[in-house]
Amino acid sequence: MEIQQPRELTKQERRELRHQEKTMEQRQRDLKRLYRHIVLWSLVVLAVGGGIFGMIKLASRPPQDNRSVITAGAVTPEDWVKGNRDAKVILIEYSDFQCPACAFYYPLLEKFSEEFGDRIAIVYRHFPLPNHQNAKSAAYAAEAAGQQEKFWEMHDLIFDNQKEWKDERSADEVFTNYAQTLNLNLDQFKTDFALKEIRKKVESAYQNGVQLGINSTPTFFLNGEKLASPRNYEEFRNIIAQAINENP
Amino acid sequence: MKIPNWLIIAFLVVSFLGFLDATYLTAQHYLGTIPSCVITTGCEIVLTSEQNAIFGIPVALIGSVYYFLLFLLAVLSLEMKRGIIRFVALLTPLGFLASLYFVYLQLFVIKEICFYCIVSATTSTILFILTLFIIIKSSGSTASRQNEND
Repeated sequence: MEIQQPRELTKQERRELRHQEKTMEQRQRDLKRLYRHIVLWSLVVLAVGGGIFGMIKLASRPPQDNRSVITAGAVTPEDWVKGNRDAKVILIEYSDFQCPACAFYYPLLEKFSEEFGDRIAIVYRHFPLPNHQNAKSAAYAAEAAGQQEKFWEMHDLIFDNQKEWKDERSADEVFTNYAQTLNLNLDQFKTDFALKEIRKKVESAYQNGVQLGINSTPTFFLNGEKLASPRNYEEFRNIIAQAINENP
Repeated sequence: MKIPNWLIIAFLVVSFLGFLDATYLTAQHYLGTIPSCVITTGCEIVLTSEQNAIFGIPVALIGSVYYFLLFLLAVLSLEMKRGIIRFVALLTPLGFLASLYFVYLQLFVIKEICFYCIVSATTSTILFILTLFIIIKSSGSTASRQNEND
């Protein structure tokens, strides 16, 4: 600030002027500090709020969003099918008996089968993940039970008791017990459990899945189209109901 | 007080990263999104293990609150009084020990490694090391002040 005619000012006036300037400066400094506080805390609130919001968004996004070109459409003779093998709506699941998410979905599929009956084919295909130590054995057990026409019964038992056998060193024994519960011919079951054909079937299902680009379980294909895993019963049911309406 | 700015800013940044990481896991816990099983990560196993909650409170939520408190302390010490940052020394050793325990659980009990949990273990270890620096710097500065008084 420029003082125009300094000579005309008295000492007193000059002192007052200086004092005024000083308080002005002080006030500006206070204001600046206040702004700084406001900006900083707004930033903090923004960062924390935005962070929480972003993370919730990230966590709630479906695991894969590529409703892509990969197809797994037709039912093959080796497939285990619930419902009508020739239905127009085919839901194929690549599943791992040791995967908690697969165990979560299994009762939902059961419900769909009850509700839609003959209008849907629900297919179970093996995709035992390498990091699940007992997943393969479980698949063999289900297949072995399948040799005695009890694939789905074994499938249910295995999922229902997943916690019991998943960390078990001798899971094979647990599965033999299940076979006993199902009144299977135990000798036959044990032979089938070790059968080369069964191991090959499980392995080729897995390889087939890998070729389809699957890297997680469960992966669902509805009439050949890969689904982004539906988050709950309602969402899943709507997708299936829509497909059934479109294919009367 | 001679705690340098970079130390507090580093603390701020790392605690915020930890906060994001833990919040992500907390969100996943409460949204009930069933983490699907993926070939390469064991997250779903770790996150659905019996050790994922303490007294019914998910570990991820505790982590989230922990990092938030540290972040707040860092902001306050930039904003108000430098010395406030020293209070983190009450928290970070606990966080560090907890992380060690969780890494032990993942390696030897659950036998699966969850990437997000390892990120958290890393951030809490870095925060612990930063805390050591803060203690050294601040005790150094009191010593030097005493020297000045002499």
